[in-house]
Parts: sequence; structure tokens; C-alpha cells
Amino acid sequence: MEDFAFHRPGSVAEAQETLRGTEDSKFMAGGQSLIPLMKLDMAAPGAVVSLTGIDELRGIEQQDGSLVIGAGMTHSEVAESDDVRNAISALAGLAGSIGDPQVRNRGTLGGSVAHADPAADYPAALVALGATVITDRREIAAEDFFQGMFETPLETDEVITSVRFPVPDSAGYSKFPNPASKYAIAGVMVARNGADVKVAVTGAGTGVFRATAFEEALAGDFSAGALDGASVSADGLVSDTDASAEYRAHLVGVMARRAVEACG
Amino acid sequence: MSNNGRKIKSDWNLIGTPMRKVEGLDKSTGRALYTDDLVFPGMLHGKILRSPHPHARIVSIDTSSAEALDGVHGVVTGQDMPTTYGIIPWTPDEYPLCVDRVRYVGDGVAAVAAVDEDTALRALELIEVEYEELPAFFDPFEALEADGSTPYVHEPKKADWNGNVTKKVHLEFGEVDELMDGSDAVVEGEYFFEGSTHTAIEPHCAIGLWQAGGGFQRQDGESSGKLTVWSATQVPHYLHRELARVLEVDQAHVRVLQPLVGGAFGGKSEPFDLEFCVAKLSMITGRPVKILYTREEVFYAHRGRHPFHMKYRTGATAAGKLTSVDAEIVLDGGAYASFGLVTTYYAGQLLCAPYEMPAYRFDSTRVYTNKPACGPKRGHGSVQPRFAFEVQIDKLSERLDLDPIEFRRLNFIGSNTRTINELRVTSNGFMECLESVERESAWKDRFRKLPFGCGLGVAGSTYITGTNYPIYPNDMPQSGVQMQVDRSGRVAVFSGASEIGQGCDSMVAYIAAEELGVPLDYVRVLRGDTDFTPVDLGAYSSRVTFMVGNAAIDAARKLRGMVQEAVAEEWDVKPGEVLLAGGLALWAPDTERQMHVKEAFNLAEAKFGTLGSTGSYNTPKDVHGEYRGATIGASPAYSFTAHVAEVEVDVETGIVDVKKIWVAHDCGRALNPVLVEGQMEGSAYMGFGEALMEEQVFKDAEHGRAGLHDAPSLLDYRIPTSLDTPELQSLIVESIDPEGPYGAKEAGEGPLHPSIPAIANAIYDAVGVRMDRLPFSPPNVWRALEAAREADTLRKPILNPGAGAPTSTPELVPGD
Repeated sequence: MEDFAFHRPGSVAEAQETLRGTEDSKFMAGGQSLIPLMKLDMAAPGAVVSLTGIDELRGIEQQDGSLVIGAGMTHSEVAESDDVRNAISALAGLAGSIGDPQVRNRGTLGGSVAHADPAADYPAALVALGATVITDRREIAAEDFFQGMFETPLETDEVITSVRFPVPDSAGYSKFPNPASKYAIAGVMVARNGADVKVAVTGAGTGVFRATAFEEALAGDFSAGALDGASVSADGLVSDTDASAEYRAHLVGVMARRAVEACG
Repeated sequence: MSNNGRKIKSDWNLIGTPMRKVEGLDKSTGRALYTDDLVFPGMLHGKILRSPHPHARIVSIDTSSAEALDGVHGVVTGQDMPTTYGIIPWTPDEYPLCVDRVRYVGDGVAAVAAVDEDTALRALELIEVEYEELPAFFDPFEALEADGSTPYVHEPKKADWNGNVTKKVHLEFGEVDELMDGSDAVVEGEYFFEGSTHTAIEPHCAIGLWQAGGGFQRQDGESSGKLTVWSATQVPHYLHRELARVLEVDQAHVRVLQPLVGGAFGGKSEPFDLEFCVAKLSMITGRPVKILYTREEVFYAHRGRHPFHMKYRTGATAAGKLTSVDAEIVLDGGAYASFGLVTTYYAGQLLCAPYEMPAYRFDSTRVYTNKPACGPKRGHGSVQPRFAFEVQIDKLSERLDLDPIEFRRLNFIGSNTRTINELRVTSNGFMECLESVERESAWKDRFRKLPFGCGLGVAGSTYITGTNYPIYPNDMPQSGVQMQVDRSGRVAVFSGASEIGQGCDSMVAYIAAEELGVPLDYVRVLRGDTDFTPVDLGAYSSRVTFMVGNAAIDAARKLRGMVQEAVAEEWDVKPGEVLLAGGLALWAPDTERQMHVKEAFNLAEAKFGTLGSTGSYNTPKDVHGEYRGATIGASPAYSFTAHVAEVEVDVETGIVDVKKIWVAHDCGRALNPVLVEGQMEGSAYMGFGEALMEEQVFKDAEHGRAGLHDAPSLLDYRIPTSLDTPELQSLIVESIDPEGPYGAKEAGEGPLHPSIPAIANAIYDAVGVRMDRLPFSPPNVWRALEAAREADTLRKPILNPGAGAPTSTPELVPGD
């Protein structure tokens, strides 16, 4: 790892000021993606601006049928929050299934969302629940936010402050995890609001996507049985040593059925 | 004699009781010193430049820029050590660093010593190597068909030979074809055992220290240097010999020290490039030099389990007696021979128990390919054929409508007998192993009766307890131990044995304490230094407890005799009436008459002078057949194992959840049942990982650099964590071997063997799908499930005992 300067500002404004004033610098939240990249010399920022000391990024609030979670909340905090468990238990369960305890104690909601790893769990939740990403300067709908592998509309000095999740009638998440990292090889979040059903898939493709055929089938009959034999096309899905595209396509169907069952 | 782990009443005070490891507290508190913990004044750090090509000629190497870099003290290339070596004296085919050709991605080309690792790494980037790439061989069958139009992996020993063949073995015992033809049922199968690596926690590490002059002045006035190498090795004696030979230093001036080793499993049982490099770099720089492999380099150094491509035909009578076994095996050896000559024999030789085989033939060929070299891993050469054979037996049992445990009982070879390939079997507790796992798993109530998706599978095995013949031919003992007692009552044991975590320091301490009657904490085990310990050949082939244990008993009893004699004289009683136990010397007829062992030792020292003894053990040499290769596989004793595995298969995803494995193992006598259980659990765990997860994948030209290891890290190379590991139940069986120390045999490798076929057979019981290729990973199992769905064979198999054998002509059951 190359040497770098480390800053830990106390406010979003100060963080942005530091970033703008420091050449070759990067924001870092929990550091669960950036630090490994730096250890492998795949990233070598001259300065790291930590977002972990900023109170305004913390907290979980209920607001008019929505849950607003601060970007700086760790996966453990989300998993263990009674507010989250009561409102959207599938979201708490999803957060509790990320990585391992060490990762969950460091990694944050905002960091995961900003990184937009195609196998991360949160993007499936944001898209299926119709969440909104709130930054220091604007609000972006989840579907517009995730633009592909590590691609988001965030500007260099833009900071995610929170994410607003509308509370659904019911939701369920099921994933087939990578056995070592626990990233999703295929993860499916299903959320139902009356007749409206959203099914978001992570891990299987180069970015989170919606399985619209599944949504249509479930809109007519919200049961696992409605998805019997259903699968997505293997075209464009990821193929690696863990799973071929064909196997991933199959797993998306299985995980979708299990996610519907998990909706209760 | 089965005790299933409970202490049985014995003649011994300590032997057979649960005891701590002598170095356990140091390890668990972080005080224990491993090679990388050692730091010396002025020590330099080395790094090795590795080939990016799977097969290439080295045209030129320019190290001048690296040498000129600030902080670099020395650079070596293959030209500096142009002597081949190899653990097997007949196949020396590697150089410490490549001289003119690289043979796999990761082959060492040059090494640098610098003030720190970062500087050494920067220096590596400055070394310019010009390569001429050569076509590479990755597939063993393609390598076998090579005609020499492009260079073989190695030069053939004779002009018309295929240089890609390391070794061919063809052995035949009994009337194989006749008995096969006359069988009532014949099962034919094709199997693939995926290669796997050891994944010891500690990466290889070595420190070299050359002392010019070394404090010695020869009579001719010349002073000789002295070479000291610390290494995380499991074979200090062989390393000692090879360092002296390759570096041209008198063996008497080479000292090898072995600090505690953080696991090995066969992966540190031969010399490696780093040991030669630290020595040579120290000779050049005059400073101590350390090299610690990265985890990535450990994957390149490899010497892991060979991938085996296997074909088996197995015949039996209608009554369920084996008639004939015919095997054809191709071993994918990687770039160098390593132990491959032995592996090629073991592939066939170690299969001939615990079942009686009236006829047996195997044809085994080891092939060089341009991949990291394969070698010995826990259960060397015999885990792979055992997988295939135990699945074959499961298929045969089903064909004959026999319970597979019953089938195994019917074919039990017995004790005090010879196998078809003329290996001598003495003690044999296999029947008790079968009974234990059958009882504990409630087999009779549950086999073939669990709901669809859930299943039980059984498998058995045998393994050697050391080899009767050492790696280099000689008539000296295989193990030596020296002991001395001092005036404080302490016992010092000088042991040549290699402590690699298996507990051999503890084992000799238990023996010294048992025989000399001292408390365990009165024993000091001094080990791991070729300057002052007698030779033991190393921690491999499950030889240590049997051989070092017998040598320790030999040494201890000589001392005990002297102490008994001195005390008897003092008390005016018979020496045989003097007991040494619990820190006391006691008079057997009236144990109120006693003295502290310290007094007893002092009496003995007064009578005999300074008290010390040596003990040694050598193997029987006259117990094998007369054919070529008959000595390979010959062991003073064989261990036996049976497993039952219980699985639940998720038929939608292909995930196999192993719920529990019952492991019954005949270890002769459990000197310390806790350590035996640890070995049994560790073995079953390792087998479980190979069965379900481990895969050696190399990139092809379309997906990156051909021949590059796809997963040289513990993130991408899958082994089970404690969270993945099923419940394991160890069931110790004690057959009390007539030649083992207190009757002990091996426990470190045998218990791995049945894990894999037991899981494969359990998957079949669960869903009626045969897994003949490793690993049983979710995608592989899902593919097999899909094929069964299409063929409409996805269902619970049925056991119909008493239905009898097929009366028609035996039909061949395709294996795959």
C-alpha cells in the first residue's frame, strides 16, 4: 500500500472543503471496499477523507410512511435497529447478511450505495423498495442512481447523506451468497405495495436490474407458485468460477420464489 | 477393544489419558516462535522473481539495474546454483532457480536481498528477463500424446520416450480378466478427483545465515564457512542433505533449525526455492536473509494433491464377494516430479485393504504439465483412488441389493494377513470401525429410509503408518532419540522429530514421563536442530508416532533400567520390583516405601556416572513381495477408518449440506485421545472441504494468461471455515498393534480418506444422483440434478435386501 494522508472532518461541508482542497483525494466511509483496493495497489489516493466522524450522516427516522436511514449507519446498526425491523424486516435481514461481523461493524449504507458494487446487497433493496438516495445537493431515485458496474451519477465531491425507503406492504430478500465474501451470486428482493410488485436482482448481472416478467406474474398472483419454472435469460449475466451465467439465471428464479415466501 | 473415545483401563499412568500439548499454551498465547518471528541484527529481506509464462526458454537475464538500486545487497539467478535437486533421489529435475527454462507461471527465476521487502519488490521490477515462449501443456491427455515436435516439459531420459511422462507403473496380481469375466456383477465407472492444496496457516518461510570462517579453523589453515538455515519445513534432515549438496558445503558445516511450524499437511515436505535462495544470498551478502512467501507464492509452490483421472472396473459374486478390480489412472503432475514417483505407485498400491481382493490390476501414469507441481498431501496418493473405489463398492452393493456396510463386512480382509499385493497387515480394527459408525448413525433405521433429499453414505479405508523404506536407501535407523536425566529430576529429550502441529513433542514427552515416572512438566523436549538432535526422517507418511515413539521408549527404558537398578541396590530389593510413577520411585510389594524420582536419579548417577541414553527404531525390511515396486506401500502397520456422512441436498440450488460425519478410526492405541480426536476431526474436515469446495482452476488463453492460477488467495480458493464445518463425531477404535509404541498406529492421515466417498454415497442415498467428479459444488451438483430430472431418475433409491444378484449376463453400468 502506498502512503497517503488521512483526514477525518466533523461535517459534510468540512469534508467537501477538504476534498476540494486536496489533490488526488477520495471520500471513504467504512473502508470495506476502498481499503482492500488500496492494499492491492489497485487504488492509491494521495489523501483519504473519512466520513466516519460526521454526526449528520447518522440516525434512523420514520417519516410519513418512509424510513430514512443515515448514510453513515453501519450494516450492524441497520440490522439491529428496532425501527428497521418493525417497518421493513427484510431490510434489517439483508443488512445482517452482508459479509461477516467485522464487515458489518465497519461498512455503511452510504458507502455501499456509493460504491455500487454489482454484487452488493443494498442495491436490490433500494430498487425493489423504490428508495430515494438523498445527497447534500439533490434526491435521486434508486432506479436512476444505479447505472451499472460501479457507475452512479454522484459527482466527485457529492456526499450521500441518507436513503429514504418507503415502507411496503411486505418485502422479502433471498440470496445465494458467495461462500467466502457473502456477496450475492444471485440475490433477489421482492417488495409488494398493493398490486404493485417490484423484483430487483443483484449479483447476477453487471448491475442491479428488475425482473419485469417476475413482477408481472406476481402482480396477478402474489405467491411463490406464480414463479414456478420462471427464470431470467442468461444473456448478459455474469459467468465466473463460482457460477456460470446459466446457473445464475436458474438461481435468480429460485431466489425469487424464496423471497416471495419470505414476504410472509 | 473399541472404546469410542472413553478412557480404557490400561497398564499405563499417562498413556491413554487426555493431556495438553506441551507447546499448546505458548501457541494459544502468542508466545510460540515461528520462523517469521525470528529477527536478527542486520537481517535482509528477500523476494523471488517468478515467471509470467507457463513454458518458456530464458534467453537472458539482466540484473544490473536491480543490483544498482539503493538498498539492494545481493541478486542471484539460476546460474548461481546450477545443480538439480529433488526429494526423490531418482528424479532430481528442478533447480533452486530456473537456469534455462521456466515450466509454470510462478517458477522462480531470480532472487533479491534488500534492506526491506518493499525495496526487494522494487528491485524485482528492475530485473529484465528475455523469454522465448514455448507451447505449453495443460491437459495431461494432450501431454501424453505429445510427439516431441515442441519441447516436452522435461527432456526425455531416452531419445524415443515422451518427456512428459514422469513415471508409469503397471502391476497385476491374480487372474484379473478371468475373474472379472466370471463375476455375477461388474460395475464400471470413470472418476475425476480434482487437485487441491494444503492451505496451512503459516506460509513457507526461511532464514539463511552464512558465517564465513564460521569459527572453524581447519588443519590446512583454510577456514570453512558455516551455513545455518531456519525453515518452516517438515523434513529438516532432507533439507540438510540437499542444502549441502546443491550449495557445495560440507554437510558437517550445515545446520538446519526448525522453529515451530504452523501446519504443513505435506506441503513442506521437500526443499523449496526460498531455502536455497536465503542461503545463497547470505553467502553473497554476509548478512542473514529472510524470505517469507506471500499466500500467492504458496499456491505456486503447491505440491498439493494430484488431480487423478480414473477408470475402475470392479466385479463381485452374487453373494457379494469381490472378485476382481481393474484400474487405469492418469495423474496430472504439474511441472516437476516432487514425490511423483511414489505417488504413481501409491495410486494403486494402497488400495488392497481393508477388503480382500482375489485379483487386482492397476495401470498408473504420472504426466508433467505446465502447472504448479503436485506432490504429497495428507493421504498421499491414496485419497483419490479411495474415492473412486468406495463409490464403486456403493454401486456394486446396490446392484446386488446388499446393504453397503454388509458388503464391506463380507469382504473384510482380516488381521495378521497379506494383501493381494503382498503387503503385511498386522492389527486391523476395521470391523469395529464399521460397527461404530453403523451404531452411532442409526444406519439400519435410516439408510435408504430418510425423506427424499436426505441421505446417508458409508465408506472405509486404510492407510500406512510410515514406510518401511526411507526415501534414500540406507540401513540406518529411521528415528533416533537421546535422553538424559539430571540431578533435579528433569528429563531432557533430544528428538529429531518435526513438530508441525500434530503433537510429536507432546508424544515424546508423554513417553518420557510415563517410562521414567516424572511429572509431565519435568520433561524438556529439545527439538528441531540438526546440530544436536539425532536424525528423524521427517513428518510425512504418518510415521512419527510409530517410529519416534518406539525410539523414545527404547531410550527411556535404558535409563529406567539404570534407575531401577540403583534404587534396588539402595533398598536391597529386586530391580523389577522398583516402579517409577507419579514423580516417585516405589517398591511394588509395598508402595509406602518410596522416594522422589530426583533422589532415584541421583542414586543412579552416583552408581553409573552421567545419565544419558539413545534409542532408535528401524522398520522391518523383509515383509513384502518380490516384484519391482513391492516395497512401496509396505508399512510396519496399517490404520483403518470408516465414515458415515449424513447430507441434505437442496434440489433447487444444488447445495449439499453435510449435517454430520461419524468418523471411526483404528489408531492402534490412542496415546492421547484428545490429540487423536483432533487428527480425526481435522482429517474429516479437510476431506469435507475437498469434497464440496476445493478447485484448482487455471486460466486459459481466452480468459487471461494461459496457465495462470485463477484463485491464488484464500478469498478465491475455497476451504471451509468453522461456520461451514459439519458436526463431527470421533469414534476411537483401539486394535493394539503388536509393534506400535504401546500398540499405537497412525491417526493423522487415514481418517481423511472416507470423507469424500461417504459424502458422494450419501448424496446418492438422498437424491439418486451419482457424483463421480469432484467437487460436489452447488453448480456441479445442480448440473447433475438437472440431468437426472431430464432422465427422470431424480428419486430416492430403494434398498431391497434379499432380492439377490442379477441372474442375467452382467451389464456394465456407465459411471458418468
